[in-house]
Amino acid sequence: MSNGIDMNERNHSHDESPELTAPADTPVDAGSQALSEALRSSFAIVRFVMIVLVLVFFASGFFTVGPAQRAIILRFGKPLHGESEQALLGPGKLHWSMPYPIDEVVKVNISGIQTVESTTGWYAETPEQRLANIEPPAPAGTPLNPLVDGYVLTGDDNIIHSRATLTYRISAPLRYVFSFVNASNAVQDALDNALLWAASQFRVDDVLRHDVAGFQEAVRRRALQLIQQQDLGITVEQCVVQSVRPRQLKDAFDQVNSADEARGKAVIAAHAAENQITNQASADARSIVALAQVESDQLVKDLAAQAERFKDILPQYQRAPGLFTQQQLSETLGRVLTNVEDKILVAEGADGKPRELRLLFNREFTKRAP
Amino acid sequence: MRRNPLTLVIGILLIIIFGLWLFVFQVRTTEVAVVTTFGNPTRPITEPGAYFKWPWPIQKVWPFDKRVQNFEDKLTERQTRDNFTLLMAVYVGWKITDPAAFFPKFISSDDPIKEAERQLDRLLGNAKAAAIGRHSLSDFVSAAGGGTNFVAIENEILSTLQSQVRSNNYGLEIEFVGVKRLQLPQNVSQSVFDRMTEERKRLAEQLQNEGDAEAQNIRSEANRKAQEVLATARGKATEIKGKALAEATASLSVFKQNPELAIFLLRLNALEGSLKDRSILVFDQNMPPFDLLRGSATNWPAK
Repeated sequence: MSNGIDMNERNHSHDESPELTAPADTPVDAGSQALSEALRSSFAIVRFVMIVLVLVFFASGFFTVGPAQRAIILRFGKPLHGESEQALLGPGKLHWSMPYPIDEVVKVNISGIQTVESTTGWYAETPEQRLANIEPPAPAGTPLNPLVDGYVLTGDDNIIHSRATLTYRISAPLRYVFSFVNASNAVQDALDNALLWAASQFRVDDVLRHDVAGFQEAVRRRALQLIQQQDLGITVEQCVVQSVRPRQLKDAFDQVNSADEARGKAVIAAHAAENQITNQASADARSIVALAQVESDQLVKDLAAQAERFKDILPQYQRAPGLFTQQQLSETLGRVLTNVEDKILVAEGADGKPRELRLLFNREFTKRAP
Repeated sequence: MRRNPLTLVIGILLIIIFGLWLFVFQVRTTEVAVVTTFGNPTRPITEPGAYFKWPWPIQKVWPFDKRVQNFEDKLTERQTRDNFTLLMAVYVGWKITDPAAFFPKFISSDDPIKEAERQLDRLLGNAKAAAIGRHSLSDFVSAAGGGTNFVAIENEILSTLQSQVRSNNYGLEIEFVGVKRLQLPQNVSQSVFDRMTEERKRLAEQLQNEGDAEAQNIRSEANRKAQEVLATARGKATEIKGKALAEATASLSVFKQNPELAIFLLRLNALEGSLKDRSILVFDQNMPPFDLLRGSATNWPAK
């Protein structure tokens, strides 16, 4: 700075002061003239550098905001355009602020999805076990040390393990950054609490089997409620809850599961039988009705045909009833008797009385018959 | 050389900048501050902005983070009203609201925030103990009630803590309190496991019985339905036959013209029908047309 001032001074005196033009006329030796030339040109360079520096200093106030960022300008530590979320500067524009310490630009990453996980209700496991999805062994009869293994208590005084993962976006960056020392810790605490609270009013079988989705929803709702109460400035994207029985009681829980499965199978088998029975019944019913229909049609048709024949016959009969009946009877008998297998004619005895004929039927009779 | 005005202006500017640096300080929007004069807190500042002060060593500025701090305490063991032992850990959201009150109490420590949390931990221990002792286990965990008792316990701890912090005039405010962990002592967990095992056994049996009963019900219901369907079908068949008979009566009226003939024809039909096949007919010689044979055969015994 002082160089700049000197330089200005010198330039002024050289260009504008009449007093200083005079010495130029006085003869000077070549050496001092060369020195003054050299000094003058180096002053010019320094002046140029100074101007560039000043420009750079003010240009440094320009800044842009990344696509996943929002920025706010603090002037003397106070938000320049108020603290509302609308005052945030977004991407796609060139912004300018006064240089520090007058202004300070605070950029907040709102990008992507943040994740917190609640493991206060989960047993202790190493990252390798977690990755391989292996339960650390805990034989039946090992109690849970509350300082090592986490768990939650259910509404029916059971112990289960449960963990939750919450994903969220920052929706109110100012609130998220300016109101909490560590907002993600606060989110995690809320999630821990939500899990504990939801478990405390669910039955163990509901959490593990009957109402897994309902339990997850209860955790999510409670976490949302806490997040709103504490005004954490985030939007919850997803909340996933995973629950398991204590490792120590694996066998006992497996028994219930297989009993449940067996029950399901029995019911399915019963339903299959039910289908079979009802299908058979409706098939039978259809054939009963169809048969009745056929028989009835037959009856009606037969009678109609007989009636028709009767009408035809009636005139013949009326002409000579005795002859007609004899003729019909003989005709029929002739037809019938050809069909009859054995015909036995019993003649009258010599005394004019009917003879007695005894017949014995046995099984062989029907068998022998062709 | 004479001083020119520009040099003067720049000099003054430099002095102003230096003066500002000495006399002005900023309070950020995330901070509160206390200004001390010769070590005495004289001016608390809670609003962000630029402020004047006398230069050190006359005045000094102490900024504090006023954002919400998260504090978690350790599991502590307490008896509930119905003599169950519970282990509970809670989290607390707190912040500095009154720097003038906060400063004298905690500034002697290297880390005033840590020191404040140590005090909070102490108060919290009492508040938790009081809350747990006032409630029974069923207030903490219960399948009925929708978790309202649980929230009520948290609120009790919160209000106790708030009133204690206020009466101690720590310059803090408690924003929220929540239970983070709730556990049972190690030996109790084993007896819970024993009880759970019993419950599982009972449940497995119950499921099996239920399955059998349900399957039985389904089967008998199916049979009942089948009978019903068949009965309906039989009813329908009878109905159809009845209709057919009604229809046939129309034809019967024809026979009324000459019942004698009709009866004769029916008998004729019946005769033919009954002697269709594999039958043996035994009759005597008086029956027409075999009466024609009477006396004609050579083997006939003579009368």
